[in-house]
This record gives sequence, C-alpha cells and structure tokens, in this order.
Amino acid sequence: MSELLQTYWPLIVAALLLGLVIAWYLFSASRKTRVSGTSGDVLDEGAAPAQRNKALIDSAPAATPMQPAAGIPAEPAAPAAATAPAAATPAPEKPAAPPAASGADDLTRIKGVGPKLSSTLNAMGVTSFAQIAAWDEAEIDRIDAQLGRFQGRIRRDDWVGQASLLAAGDDSGFAQRYGKLS
Amino acid sequence: MPLWFELASLMLAAYGAGIGIGWALWGRQDQHEE
Repeated sequence: MSELLQTYWPLIVAALLLGLVIAWYLFSASRKTRVSGTSGDVLDEGAAPAQRNKALIDSAPAATPMQPAAGIPAEPAAPAAATAPAAATPAPEKPAAPPAASGADDLTRIKGVGPKLSSTLNAMGVTSFAQIAAWDEAEIDRIDAQLGRFQGRIRRDDWVGQASLLAAGDDSGFAQRYGKLS
Repeated sequence: MPLWFELASLMLAAYGAGIGIGWALWGRQDQHEE
C-alpha cells in the first residue's frame, strides 16, 4: 500500500483536489448565485430618486423655449431692444441669466417664477416683463389655464405688478414692495 | 487485489475526502448563516 502511495501520490492528490473543487462548486459557488438573486428592493433607496425622476419628467425640455421665439411678431426689433437695456443697466445683481442674452428678460426674477415656469412661459411666447405687465384679466385667465399645476400663481404672486416694476427698471420700488431681488 | 482496484479505491477515498473538506469549509458555514 505504501509503495502504491509513493508511486501514485500525484493521482491521489489530483483526486483530492477534484473532490475539493466539486465541493466548492456545490457548496459555495451555487450558493453565491442564490445570494445574488436576493438583491435589494428599489424602494430601499428611499423616495428621493422618485422625486428626482418626477422633477425630470415635469421639467420642460431644454429646446422648447427656442421654438416659439420665432413666432414672436416683435422679433426683428428684439436685438435693438436687447442692446438698450443691457447698456442702461449692466445688471450686477443678475447672477446668471441665460434667457437675457437673446433679448428676453430673465423671468425668474419675478418672485414665484422658477426655471420651470420661466421655460413654460417662454414656450408660450412670453419672454419679457413688458409682456407680463401688459396682461389684462382675460389674458391672465388665458395664460393661467395653461400653467398646469402652477395655476393661480399669476394672481397669487402678483406677476403683473412685479413685471411692471421690473420692466420699468424700478428695482428699489420692487425691493420695497416684494422684497429684495433674488 | 489487483493494482487498478487498489488505486481506484485510493483515488475514490481521496475524492471523498476532498468533498468532505470542501463541505466543512464552505457548506457547513452557510448552513449556520441561514
């Protein structure tokens, strides 16, 4: 027997290793796959991703404000109008106003109007404070009906009053009545 | 006892020992975990 072991020990070791490999496959590898099957639930992340996705769905596409701009009748006059206020007011208070570059006012300066509402208004062709300041009751109703879940904001936040002060460049009057410009 | 039979028995025993060691290492652990 001992001579046999001495002669064929590599075969014996190979058989032992084969047994180990098969045992590992049976007891460890297969169990690993089972464990990977019980991954966490989506809701383990909490409600934050859902809110983020909802916000992404609600936000207007980045390209929409550009399309109705072509339909504005006062389009040719826009560049001239753009240079005048820009020269008159260097607007140091404005942080970063991308819409202002194309002759449109930064509607987010109106308190109660955020980026989402601003882009919605741009999509309707409303790009300047003067336009909002000129709204009458019927126009407010017409625009309000298109604001979806923001309905009622126009009157609640007095956009017309805010816009008329902003259009006039009356920053101090605005600050006095509605608080500091953001 | 023929040589091949002895050799086969030894290899089978070694194989069984390997399975046993493997179970002791990995199989028994997992049973405790569950």
